[in-house]
Amino acid sequence: MKSLIKKFGKINSGVLALCILFLILELVGHRHGETSIEDIIFFPAFFGFLSCIIIFKIGVSLRAFLMKDEDYYDR
Amino acid sequence: MIDSFPPGMIMVIGALLIPFLPHIVRQIFMMLLVLLSAYPLTLGIGVHTTINFFDLEFILFQSDALTIPFAIIFHIAAVLNIIYGAHVKHWKQHVAIMSYSGAAIAAVHAGDLLTLFVWWEATAFTSVFLILASNTRRSYKSAFRYIVIQVTSGMFLLAGALILLNNEGNALLTKFDINTLYGQLIFIAFGIKAAFPLLNGWLQDSYPEASEIGTVALSTFTTKLAIYCFAKCFAGTEILIAIGAIMTFYPIFFAVIENDLRRVLTYSLNNQLGFMIVAIGIGTELAINGAVAHAFAHILYKGLLFMGMGAVLYRVGTCKASELGGLFKYMPITAVCTIIGAISISAFPLFSGFVAKSLIMSALGKEGLVLVYFMLLFASAGVLHHSGIKIPFFAFFAHDSGIKTKEAPINMIAAMVIASLLCILIGVFPSLFYSILPYQIAYEPYDFSHVVGQLQLLTFAAFAFICLWHFKIYPPELNSTVLNSDWIYRKMIPGVLIPFLSMMSNLNIKMSNYIIDTSLKTKTYLANIMTRDRVFDREVGKDGLIILQVFTVFLVFVLVSQFF
Repeated sequence: MKSLIKKFGKINSGVLALCILFLILELVGHRHGETSIEDIIFFPAFFGFLSCIIIFKIGVSLRAFLMKDEDYYDR
Repeated sequence: MIDSFPPGMIMVIGALLIPFLPHIVRQIFMMLLVLLSAYPLTLGIGVHTTINFFDLEFILFQSDALTIPFAIIFHIAAVLNIIYGAHVKHWKQHVAIMSYSGAAIAAVHAGDLLTLFVWWEATAFTSVFLILASNTRRSYKSAFRYIVIQVTSGMFLLAGALILLNNEGNALLTKFDINTLYGQLIFIAFGIKAAFPLLNGWLQDSYPEASEIGTVALSTFTTKLAIYCFAKCFAGTEILIAIGAIMTFYPIFFAVIENDLRRVLTYSLNNQLGFMIVAIGIGTELAINGAVAHAFAHILYKGLLFMGMGAVLYRVGTCKASELGGLFKYMPITAVCTIIGAISISAFPLFSGFVAKSLIMSALGKEGLVLVYFMLLFASAGVLHHSGIKIPFFAFFAHDSGIKTKEAPINMIAAMVIASLLCILIGVFPSLFYSILPYQIAYEPYDFSHVVGQLQLLTFAAFAFICLWHFKIYPPELNSTVLNSDWIYRKMIPGVLIPFLSMMSNLNIKMSNYIIDTSLKTKTYLANIMTRDRVFDREVGKDGLIILQVFTVFLVFVLVSQFF
């Protein structure tokens, strides 16, 4: 555990611990969503993680099209 | 007398005295103006002030269940803006902020479209000075584009109002049909100010160019006035659901790659407006409550985030993620307040964003709009990414930028602390917050499913960001310009129009030259013939000319007579 904290950092390890805690909470109580798809176990966790990765990937790929030099409009 | 004075109007009139007051007196005077402006709200619901002008009735002050929450938050925001800007000694920005806030408050209380138009344009002409206040070449250019677009929005509103007046005999501010011409014109006018897709360029173009206190004020009023107007006039208009869903979705990607943190916040603002527009499009009582609650909460937490970045800009002179980092040790209070704003906008339980956004998500779930629901859920993860993490992380943590500075001025801290407390207060006591919303409905945001689902979504999205950063997959922020819809009128149209005009100009010159050449040649040719054949010789010429003139007059007479 100590080596994980050392390797991953205190804050990062803390977030990981919270992730695990909220997964356990779902096992303790009964969670249901606004839609039936959300009732799948750990759905929000998967959705949140994947969404963030997708947003990042699309954002980075858009750099090639949308990112120009800082003085682009001043030329 | 004072209680029937339209809220906001006294702030606009009082702003004219601000230049003549010394600094401390000015601050007290501005607070007093806001209090006096708020006093007529005690009259409650109803039409309170009307005037007749040219046989038209202008409703200057009307109040209903929808105006009250907007009036409350606009007054709170005005107070926060005064506190936040108290370190600025010069009067110019204070006049602009006071009159801009007043115009927006007065617009909310307008009962007809013509009165709304007056205040609509007043918000544009007063707020543009906040962009000019940066005193840079970029801000001057941006301010020009801003005012052109805002005035265009006003022209659409006026056109719609006049057609409605002509058709119906009145221009009351009420629910409009999108299928009518005036309805469409008014819809476009509101859509420009609400930064609809492809009409949003002005928002990301101009807000980040304003002064540090100007952006905070700008983020509060213009767009939320448009949200109020949509809720008032187009609640339940289905196309708003699609427009709003697109608005929540696409700015996320722009925000991820944008380097200027205040510009990131404007993309985030656009995304948050999308949530409100979706809710207005649904139009149920729960959804309208959601839209209003979201606007209310959003003014506070987005204002707080802009305040945090404004403080960084004020102290460091830049808001570029590529140049910032490690400021936490120098500006800890600013950092904590910005983090509270970031947590609130991310909609963590016990913060304002959660209790507001839950209403909209529940309304979507109840209406069975599954696709839109998941688009907004995706956007919620995006909000955490760009506003919840990116803003505080790149400004106050990330890496040590080597910048040494000091904490924000005391007035800025005071405004940020008050806004932070309000964000927490709303999150902890949602029933108090819900009591000011337009419809009294029973809603409990803190049930097990909502809380656990939201916490899982957010913590795992945060964990994904951590992984990307920790394993060095996240690319470094770069000094850059990210193209947005303003590219159409800043680059594309000039790029097409200028070569086209240049080509037309060349063509014109060539044609003119050709005509002149031909004329000269013809003249020379005729002169030669005339000289050679003595057609118009001096003696013969006079007679010949007379004959020609008589013949011409006769010909004209004959031709004209054919038509009568």
